[in-house]
Amino acid sequence: MSITLNTARFGELTIDEDKIILFPEGIPGFTELKRYILLDYKDTELKWLQAIDDGDVAFIVAPPWVVTKNYNITVDEKTKDLLELIDEKDLCILIILRVEGETVKANLAGPILINSSNKKAVQAIVDLDIFSKIL
Amino acid sequence: MLILTRKEDESIKIGDNILIKVISISGNQVRLGIDAPKNSLIFRYELYEKIKQENLESSKIDITYFNKIKEIIK
Repeated sequence: MSITLNTARFGELTIDEDKIILFPEGIPGFTELKRYILLDYKDTELKWLQAIDDGDVAFIVAPPWVVTKNYNITVDEKTKDLLELIDEKDLCILIILRVEGETVKANLAGPILINSSNKKAVQAIVDLDIFSKIL
Repeated sequence: MLILTRKEDESIKIGDNILIKVISISGNQVRLGIDAPKNSLIFRYELYEKIKQENLESSKIDITYFNKIKEIIK
């Protein structure tokens, strides 16, 4: 089954329902938005995380190694339960990026964690010394 | 806001499923123990607010910034 949505940045998109990523708790600031889709864009490691139920809301995300070489976080049991994560190999981590002036700010304290086996996701909040890395 | 006074080892219960216990008090720090259902996430409030602000900022990102980010991180 596919669904069609209207987005502010990409116009009308038709997506496969199997690709929907479910954030059961939403994310801070957008707790009412539970469904997202990851969009490849321009053949880079960057992707767009587009909200399905609000076409205006989208984030640029990237795997941690794009931002920093050493990024180790511990996923606590609660988060694993929420993701129904059984095998750590299924865990996909993405970092939200944004532009501030002439720099890129990477939100290392709020990684997006996706269980690729069931497409459940959560934004973890980790107590890091470096809240965000400026590139 | 409801305000309650509790001593060490005393608890409060919120609804059927959440219990917050004062583990210890020293100086201006309080250690709390929290029992809550598996699927409820618990955050330090100020960290949650920081992430929320970041998310609100990040969600507004213009499509033209994609190339800018691509250039900077490559």
